[in-house]
Amino acid sequence: MKKLIYLSLLITGLANAQITPEFEIGAKGVFSGNLNFNSEESNAVSDFSDTQLLMGLSQKLYNNWRAQFVLGLQFPDANSNLGDVFYNNIFIRLEDKKNIVKVGRTIAQTNLNEFPTLRDDDAQQFTYALNPFSDGVNTERDQYANVLEYTHIFKQRFYVSLHGENFYDSREPDDFRLNSTGLTLMYRIPESQRWNRNVIQEVGFSYNNYFTDRQGYSNDFDASVKNLLFSTTLNLKPDPINFIDFRLQAIQNFGWDEVNMLNDYFDYTRTESSTVFGTFRYLKQKLERPHYQISIGGGYKSLPNLEVDSNQLLLIANGFYRIGENFDLGVQYRYTENSGFTENLFGKNEHRIQLAVVYSFSKIFNKQFGDREDLLNLEHNYIK
Amino acid sequence: MDRRDFLATGAVSTAGVLFFPGNLLAKEAKMSNKKKLVQTLPYKMDGEWKEFELYIDIHTHEPAPGFKYHTLAFNDMIPGPEIRVNAGDKVRVKFINKTDLNHTIHWHGVYVPWRMDGVPFVTQLPVMPKNEFIYEFVAEPEGTHFYHCHWGTLMHMQAGMFGSLIVENPNDPIKKKFPYEREYTLVYSSHDTNYIREEMNGMLERMKQRSYLMKEGRFNSEQWAVFDNKEQFVSSMENGYQPPYVTNRRSNSDLPQANWFTVNGKSYPSTPYLFIKSGENIRIRLINAGAETHHLHLHGHDFWMVADDGVPLEHPFKRNTVPLTPGKTFDIIVEGTNRGIWTFHDHDTRKVTNNGLYPGGNLLALVYEDLPADELIISKHSGNPMYNSNAGMGDMKGMDAMKNENMGTMNKMMFGEDKLPKIALDE
Repeated sequence: MKKLIYLSLLITGLANAQITPEFEIGAKGVFSGNLNFNSEESNAVSDFSDTQLLMGLSQKLYNNWRAQFVLGLQFPDANSNLGDVFYNNIFIRLEDKKNIVKVGRTIAQTNLNEFPTLRDDDAQQFTYALNPFSDGVNTERDQYANVLEYTHIFKQRFYVSLHGENFYDSREPDDFRLNSTGLTLMYRIPESQRWNRNVIQEVGFSYNNYFTDRQGYSNDFDASVKNLLFSTTLNLKPDPINFIDFRLQAIQNFGWDEVNMLNDYFDYTRTESSTVFGTFRYLKQKLERPHYQISIGGGYKSLPNLEVDSNQLLLIANGFYRIGENFDLGVQYRYTENSGFTENLFGKNEHRIQLAVVYSFSKIFNKQFGDREDLLNLEHNYIK
Repeated sequence: MDRRDFLATGAVSTAGVLFFPGNLLAKEAKMSNKKKLVQTLPYKMDGEWKEFELYIDIHTHEPAPGFKYHTLAFNDMIPGPEIRVNAGDKVRVKFINKTDLNHTIHWHGVYVPWRMDGVPFVTQLPVMPKNEFIYEFVAEPEGTHFYHCHWGTLMHMQAGMFGSLIVENPNDPIKKKFPYEREYTLVYSSHDTNYIREEMNGMLERMKQRSYLMKEGRFNSEQWAVFDNKEQFVSSMENGYQPPYVTNRRSNSDLPQANWFTVNGKSYPSTPYLFIKSGENIRIRLINAGAETHHLHLHGHDFWMVADDGVPLEHPFKRNTVPLTPGKTFDIIVEGTNRGIWTFHDHDTRKVTNNGLYPGGNLLALVYEDLPADELIISKHSGNPMYNSNAGMGDMKGMDAMKNENMGTMNKMMFGEDKLPKIALDE
């Protein structure tokens, strides 16, 4: 009888559920024609990799915290070994005014900046601290991980984040244990206030420690691959019509001394390297909407511990023109040059020209409460 | 929230808990009720002018305990303070805009000079952020009127930018016909709090950019969507400008769907009480400052309709339900002829809700002060034998549980104190 009562209470409880969550949908469609010169990759008539769909369900909890469940999928490169669809975001986020807890698969804190490239992975080797457990067949395993993150926010702008990850291990794909930890410190102006900051929009550091199986070292710390990231975004011309910013990220991978030649991608991510990547971006706005954007950037990576002088260079330039709400026409040129061991791994140099149509959309339906970073909550008392 | 705000909020909450509504007939309840009534705006005399000061700022409002939202408020209160003057008075209102948004004040139903009417771009330029404007007019005609912001009216009005404006006639024919001492102003409104939040955030963000461009002298007609004349507007379109309402700039409308309904800025159970005594007349000034119609119904009484849009009716007539449409004011006289506690509510019961849950919203009560406390005791006057052993079942065979001595514990467990009225919230 008792069981029946409990069951009935449960069912009644479900039936009486009064919360229909906020429903956020985000979509990005990237469709490009690719023209490659001096490349092992073939030209492409219609490349829609990096196209993705994101869905978020949010609501308030009883104790004034908020919770969000996010499910996202992405169409990876055809030769990525990830199948037709990769579920890049499956996580739950719990947050209040000053704390954020994130559990599940999402983008890892191995990239602290969002660079203006056609696709997120167009400058992957320069913009991410790379996953030392990955065989490098795809870029998603460098970008996304199963994470456990706790972030505390001081004075609306200082973010201190402790995070642990399970990065995909190509050699042990069924190992879901924690294989990385890190600490990130960020100063970040809230999105709604960024356009008019005089100089610093954001600046941050991140330290990542990957628990790799370094032979001859029993201590986890000594056996690990360690890297340090520095990132900043500076407003060179903070203006609502003619906006110019500069983004920079530097990654120091402390690597292993014993990796002095590159036989595979594992060696590439486990040897010492110093990387810097930066972009200048000009955004023209019209009627309070983006009109067109031009950016130019470049990156340089040196791998000083290798027997042969090995460096990488990347130059990238692109432009986007808005043809309608959410739709942009884009063109991107990318030049990559590799020398020494990196030439063996990635080819000597490559020119790539891409013509693209991009669709991007994000909207929250059934809105019920304000975001932490909206102006009312930031400037006129946060409403729990 | 700083420490001072915290203490202020604490004090208000405590008052609500102590005096609402258990001791409805106590002196404290009446004191507490005053906070739920409109507050009269003081004035200074400057020669023959009555000078008032209204400012507008962003405010955190709590229509019912536990629900807060950001809104706009005159002098940090919703509704804004009541301006009360005599017919023929010279009125000067200094309006200070403390927000980053544009505003004006429109004097609804008042014969102001046209340049004082508060319609942006028709009678004046909007009062820009951190700017002031002086409104001057002679108070006429007599009656119940109100003021409200006329900029971004769809959002600004429901966000709380309204208040009552009473023009009194020393020889008021209504008072002569229905002598009264006490009167109440009830300002009704409806609010889509989600629409308010999203619109305010969007407008604040846009206005920061616009103010920046204005200071730099780089703001133009197309950016503001404000043109000198139709020719300029059409010419802009010929050169590629697309108005914000066309379908390639805007999809289906997100018009507000009100989810909170307020009387004097409060929703049940925070709504005010209307106190009356047997044999007394009270005047109630009803103002609809919102965008929904409210079908107001008083239980147990017919009331006299005595003024329509402030205009005294030559032949008052009786009703017990009145449709208060948007922008409308009615004055009614309630005669104290039926002692008790009587609800006065919107008979469109969708508006007796808070966030979609009944009861809430426009639900308040007419309370007779001379009601004996004894009549509030549930068990004493209940027709239900469950609560009143004198009603019959206590003596019936096998109904020992219904005996008076056994009922106290059961009722206390189920219904708390043996007293009306109670706060009821649907669960």
